[in-house]
Amino acid sequence: MKPFNHKDAKTLAEAKTALAGGKAAIIAGGTDLIGQLKDNIFCQYSDGRYGKLKAGAVPPVYPETLVNIKTIPGLDSIKEEGGMLKIGAATKLSDIAANKTINQKYAALAQAASRVASPHVRDMGTIGGNIAQLHRCWYFRKPENRFPCVRKGGTQCYAMTGDSRYHTIFGAVNMCLAVHPSDVAPALVALNAKIVTDRRMVEAENFWDVKNPGNTVLAVDEIIKEIQIPTPPTGAKSAFQKFAIRKSIDFPIVNCAVMVAGKESRICLNAVAAKPYRATKAEAVVAGKKIDEKLAEAAGEAAVADAKPLAATKYKVQIAKTLVKRALNAAV
Amino acid sequence: VYSLIDIPTNSNLGIWQGEHFMSDNEINTNEGGGFNRRSFLKSAGVVVAGGTLGAGLTLTQKEAEAAAGPATPATITSYRCSIDRMEFNTYDMLLRHYDEAHKGAIHPVTVKFKVNGKDQEVLIEKNWTLQRTLQMKLGLSGAKQMCDRGACGSCTVIINGRAVLSCTTLAVECAGKSIETVEGIAQNPKWKPLIDSYCKWDAMQCGYCTPGFVVSAKALLDKNPNPSEEDCKQALAGNICCCGTYPRHPTAIREAAPLITGGGA
Repeated sequence: MKPFNHKDAKTLAEAKTALAGGKAAIIAGGTDLIGQLKDNIFCQYSDGRYGKLKAGAVPPVYPETLVNIKTIPGLDSIKEEGGMLKIGAATKLSDIAANKTINQKYAALAQAASRVASPHVRDMGTIGGNIAQLHRCWYFRKPENRFPCVRKGGTQCYAMTGDSRYHTIFGAVNMCLAVHPSDVAPALVALNAKIVTDRRMVEAENFWDVKNPGNTVLAVDEIIKEIQIPTPPTGAKSAFQKFAIRKSIDFPIVNCAVMVAGKESRICLNAVAAKPYRATKAEAVVAGKKIDEKLAEAAGEAAVADAKPLAATKYKVQIAKTLVKRALNAAV
Repeated sequence: VYSLIDIPTNSNLGIWQGEHFMSDNEINTNEGGGFNRRSFLKSAGVVVAGGTLGAGLTLTQKEAEAAAGPATPATITSYRCSIDRMEFNTYDMLLRHYDEAHKGAIHPVTVKFKVNGKDQEVLIEKNWTLQRTLQMKLGLSGAKQMCDRGACGSCTVIINGRAVLSCTTLAVECAGKSIETVEGIAQNPKWKPLIDSYCKWDAMQCGYCTPGFVVSAKALLDKNPNPSEEDCKQALAGNICCCGTYPRHPTAIREAAPLITGGGA
């Protein structure tokens, strides 16, 4: 890694001051960030061999300072109060996966947290970092910025002409085919969570609603403070399913979280588009009905009705369909 | 085997511009307090790819202690500028030197933590990972650099009771924490049954990943003294062995579990 400064923030205000100017980055678990820095994916390399940046584009730069937010007290708590589950942004994923309340009432979140990467990564990675991690695409993540793609301010998406087998099935956003790889994200969308930053509250559904090169709606000096999940209505059940090539230490090919609560059912897929994809058509199919094998299958069909897969990602449509079915069956 | 027992040198680490590296000679003479793995291997008289564990070979107590407790000074004796290699007696003098000679440059920091129960103080760059600090500054080469991206588990250490990856942990963030490495586990008589069981069941081939597996297994047995096979698989899910020794690990751990009693943490 290139040299950088390191600052332990004691309060949110201190962290915010250090972040202002856009030359610093937040480090919590560091499992995504340290990899980015080691691979130097944002290096300014561009000799024009593989493409050029757009005129006037300002690609992200290597951070001069890392601001450690693990040292802010109270940012890693799990508590239930006022009909809300409140999870501090720096709460470790393993703590979420092991928490009793979350396992009982918010099963999808516990299951999702327990399927992230490996036990070691879950003991380091935080929920805030998991939802704010950068997109996954092997061209975007290629070390030394070998492919200056649209997500970095370039002019083309290399996956369009290259290998796109792990990419989107719901179309490109601003020419980029990369997918959001978070396991926790669909669970938060399905459970209707709200993401509280130091200055506002964002619905989980809208948290990733930006065009690239943006990743989340967060401003450069904005910090996720807390994740709030309303207590599901009585009788509601949730479940999470993930398909990956390896059982552990792997990103999802497709994952799916559902919450079944009478008319309020929510179904969310991830790793199929640039942001977690809420399958509203599938929700309409199951709304207010008793879920059985047939209905779950119909919901699976409806979830991928709008899919526009690439030639190489047609298989993901089948997986998405099946995961919706399995998740619904698991939530009954 | 030769490449495995060679300490990484400038050729494969010094890829970033502006970072300052020690040569192999300097590691030998200055950083590890006269101890490194090569001298350990020489003195132990065996070539053990895994550093502390070898196929069919159990460590004697003396060897284990030699691996765990190198003659590293617990405090820093000399503060060296990483740009022009000048030595200073105090940290303040080093900072003053940076102020005068390298204005605006990022200076090294001192970090105190506890490694295998022993208080340590090291002078490191802020961008150093814990794995690198353990290896380069303390001569503890048990936590291996393999993928260096947090995807293989070879660099597993236990920090404050959690088994984590030292290649993706910044050493500056470990200040005040208690770190256990495979050397500390091998040295502790309490965990001898685990090491012996690993050797008995030959749960290794090249042995490069084995320290990571042993640390993960220790972290599992700390939480769950009587793990099922499924528990073992879950706990070791973050460790990758390219020789494919996976089925033997649960056997080795489960056989050792009832034998591990008392004798300190």
